[in-house]
Amino acid sequence: MTDHPQALSAADFAPASARPDAHGITRPSQSYWQDAWRRLRHNKRAIASLWIVIFLLAFTLIGPLLWRVDPYAQNLDRISQPPTLAAQTLLVERGVQWEGVTLPQWPHAPSREWLTDPQRIELPAPEAMEVVGDPHTLSVRLRWSPVANAAGYQVYRNTYRPTAVNELGLPLGETWAGNDVGYEDQLALTPNTYWYSVTATDGLRESEQFASIAVDVQLATTIESALARGLIPSRDAAQAGDYVAMPANPFGTDYLGRDMLARLMHGARTSLFIGIAAPLLFVLFGTVYGAFAGFAGGRTDDFMMRIADFVIALPFLLFMILIRVASGIGPGESGIMPLLMALVVLSWPATARLVRGQILQIREEGYVQAARLLGARDHYLILRHMVPNTLGVILVTLTFAIPTAIFTEAFLSFIGMGVAPPVPSWGSMSNEGLKSMLNSPHELFFPALFISITVLAFNMLGDGLRDALDARMRSRE
Amino acid sequence: MTGNLTLETLETHDGLRARGDPALPAVRLVLPLLVATLTLALLAPAADGRLREAVDAESRTLTLVLEQDPPQLDSTRSTDTVSIRVLGHVKEGLTRYDERNQLIGGVAERWEVREDGATFWLRRDARWSDGAPVTAHDFVYAWRRVQDPATTSEYAFIMYGIENAEAVNTGALPPSELGVRAAGDHILEVGFERPIPFFARLAAFAVFLPVREDFAATRGDRYGSSAADMLYNGPFVISRWSRGARLTLDRNPHYWESDAIWLNRIDFGYITADTRAELNLFRDGKVAMANLDSETMHNALQQRWRIHRFDDGVLFYVGFNHRPDRLTRNRNLRRAFDLTFDPHEFVNRIIATPGNRPGISLFPAWMQGAEGRLREEVPPRPSEVDLERARHYLELAREELGLERFPPIVLLTGDSPTANKQAEYLQSMWGQTLGLEIRVDVQIFRQRLAKMTAGDYDLVLAGWGPDYNDPLTFGDLFASWNLNNRGRYANDELDHWVRRAQNELDPHLRAQAFGEIQRIVAEDVVVIPTYERARLYVMHPRLKGVVRRQISPDPDFNRAWIE
Repeated sequence: MTDHPQALSAADFAPASARPDAHGITRPSQSYWQDAWRRLRHNKRAIASLWIVIFLLAFTLIGPLLWRVDPYAQNLDRISQPPTLAAQTLLVERGVQWEGVTLPQWPHAPSREWLTDPQRIELPAPEAMEVVGDPHTLSVRLRWSPVANAAGYQVYRNTYRPTAVNELGLPLGETWAGNDVGYEDQLALTPNTYWYSVTATDGLRESEQFASIAVDVQLATTIESALARGLIPSRDAAQAGDYVAMPANPFGTDYLGRDMLARLMHGARTSLFIGIAAPLLFVLFGTVYGAFAGFAGGRTDDFMMRIADFVIALPFLLFMILIRVASGIGPGESGIMPLLMALVVLSWPATARLVRGQILQIREEGYVQAARLLGARDHYLILRHMVPNTLGVILVTLTFAIPTAIFTEAFLSFIGMGVAPPVPSWGSMSNEGLKSMLNSPHELFFPALFISITVLAFNMLGDGLRDALDARMRSRE
Repeated sequence: MTGNLTLETLETHDGLRARGDPALPAVRLVLPLLVATLTLALLAPAADGRLREAVDAESRTLTLVLEQDPPQLDSTRSTDTVSIRVLGHVKEGLTRYDERNQLIGGVAERWEVREDGATFWLRRDARWSDGAPVTAHDFVYAWRRVQDPATTSEYAFIMYGIENAEAVNTGALPPSELGVRAAGDHILEVGFERPIPFFARLAAFAVFLPVREDFAATRGDRYGSSAADMLYNGPFVISRWSRGARLTLDRNPHYWESDAIWLNRIDFGYITADTRAELNLFRDGKVAMANLDSETMHNALQQRWRIHRFDDGVLFYVGFNHRPDRLTRNRNLRRAFDLTFDPHEFVNRIIATPGNRPGISLFPAWMQGAEGRLREEVPPRPSEVDLERARHYLELAREELGLERFPPIVLLTGDSPTANKQAEYLQSMWGQTLGLEIRVDVQIFRQRLAKMTAGDYDLVLAGWGPDYNDPLTFGDLFASWNLNNRGRYANDELDHWVRRAQNELDPHLRAQAFGEIQRIVAEDVVVIPTYERARLYVMHPRLKGVVRRQISPDPDFNRAWIE
């Protein structure tokens, strides 16, 4: 319309012809759910979260079908490996323990004169050091030249060249005789360059002089364990000295050499089972309980809600332990069922309160009054009006309950009340990873990452759902 | 008799195993003291004009950490390693160990051990910290006190073998009937009920330390509870003992060999069992020594400190429950377990901290035999891994037990991270190799001990530390009468050899008896030895002459000096 006055003609005053489509609906009719979905789709964070949730479900359910690695299989040749691709490993025979090197002619203890000499000087370092045989991750064998008046030797290992006595590194072991000049190192070797050092001791004082040698260690596996792990088809298919491919560990391995990816997949089962089963159960129970209380009203409502208040006041951890004890869980058995029970028994009142509030509100709405006046029965009212109108709230509660439950499971497994070893769960994996956080951070990082991502995704999805389902939010668009 | 049963962890200090008195009265007492000490501690640097240093060559002072406050220092009642360590610096027994861990005379100048008894000739210059001479009567009084049922000494059993000791301890005879008497002031005569060939070494143990009767009588129950309520005859005296905060040892001028002691003061200035805190104190130059665990080890590596190791003497093993209603009573089943266990793999891949030795025998590698090391005199059978034979024995066991398949087997273990890791490895390993379902039962130390005593387990991860420097401290562990034989293993042949080892005087025949015990334990798979523990520690580079040993007192600073 325009403000400017215009000259009017008679035609302007002729009656308009009827337009049958004047009040027609131009856009397709949208139900509550369609509308909610439309708004959810516009929420980028929520959609991203939804994809993450779908991915997590796929990771858990389909993942183990694609990544067919036994999550319980220990590979002691690769303990606490950071994420690695497939590597070639040398096959070796199962080694007999090396007896070391004992020189028959050399005295095994210092001479008495030397020991009693108060002016005695420090023992020198061994003059030469060498590696015996092939150094690999199963064994590095060292020998060195003897030192006169030594009563034994200390063997050290480090990952860089020691320049002073304080840089010798880990004290691996010692020999107890001056003519014992060999040492076999098998301690947690990884494919790497190591610096071995040897000092002599007269039994009282260890010398500050040391001899060092650099050793390149290559990855090796015994034929037996290669066979047990299916790296070679049969005992005759390979022989010592051959190389075979060791499978990749994209997420690394844990403290017993188990594949982290496989364990994360299996751990997700526990986490997601609790995360989904527990909220489903307690939200369902809370809904029925709250709906009944709200609908019945009066003293029944009062009484039922006081019970809910009572349950809310119960301390979760204490009851979790009580239920665990009461259900007769023996040592070493999984605590997942009591955990589920505790979650259901103690978590429903929040939902019940919420649903009751909604029902109380809806009960007084005009359309419900109208339906009642028209003679609608209770069950009609519940099914036609109450449930559909509370469904949004219930759904939002459910989505928010899932991350809480996952987090609770992780927490309880973290403190050792959840799964029993060797069954993994993200919580128990984090707990184990924490112990070696400084050396192999990946053991803590991945399970913690998965917990964080899952909790975040479910929270953001819940956020989006709440925005989408809340009728009042429409005005904000 | 919690004795020396030890936790299977690198982190936990043995000293924690026996804490003393009820807490509440102590708290009331300690709190004002604590406030007072804190105030003093704050004022002290100002008064001295300088801060405490870890090592101070000028004043010859050493500052150290103590893992816990000694519950009390009455040597007749001490059981924990911390108390025994402190006692080892402030008191001296008949014998002691030197820097090379050789037995030498302490208060006793020389001695003679016979089949029916022993005689100790005491040095005349040994003095108490009040200047009075140390006499044979002080030993007689102390030992009677140990056996007196009223003292309730947990280590009373260690003297059994002395004439009438057991009868006195059970109350059947009065303490005056104990077979020990003073022949004059400087000769101590001990009568034996049965031969104790290693008695001179045993006499170095803490409960054999002297106590002076006239002094102890004036103190009554308070004896050993504070610095003033004790009398000392060792290289040091306790000059200050602030409960829970600080324990200071000063050089004892009355000590007979006081000239050989370089240090003027050993100051246990901090009392904490937290290895992380200990390492921080070390880093800040406040203490001269810090023990490392599997985690702080890496910090020490990063700091480029020199790391030392020593065998701390404790042997760890998988124990079986031999009670009649248990599956693990079946020898073939135990054999199957044994034949699948590889101690080398266990030590190098699972425990994976340096220095530990694979467990291949009941007797640790450092144990002394007749002349050299026991291990060389009676070599143990090397451990073997043989899956096929293991499965064969498992099948035999299944048939003997009349089982369709094996029920779950419970593996009892401690609650430390290392113990968990070990248990989980064994669980998976035996699951894979033998197809057995192992359930891991994680318990705190006391609860684990209670369950072991009650027999509520199949397998247990346990450890044993030596009380005295003789193979018998391990050798009699599975004798049918030993209360620490918590698996209730009973074997007449083993008992026979234990008695032989107890009674035999000839060192070579004794070594052979230990060889037989070693053989039976291995063949009958009484336990599966897993590893011999080593400890790692860092020490101030100028601190010298500190002795680490398997038998308390460890560490020994008596003859230490600062360069």
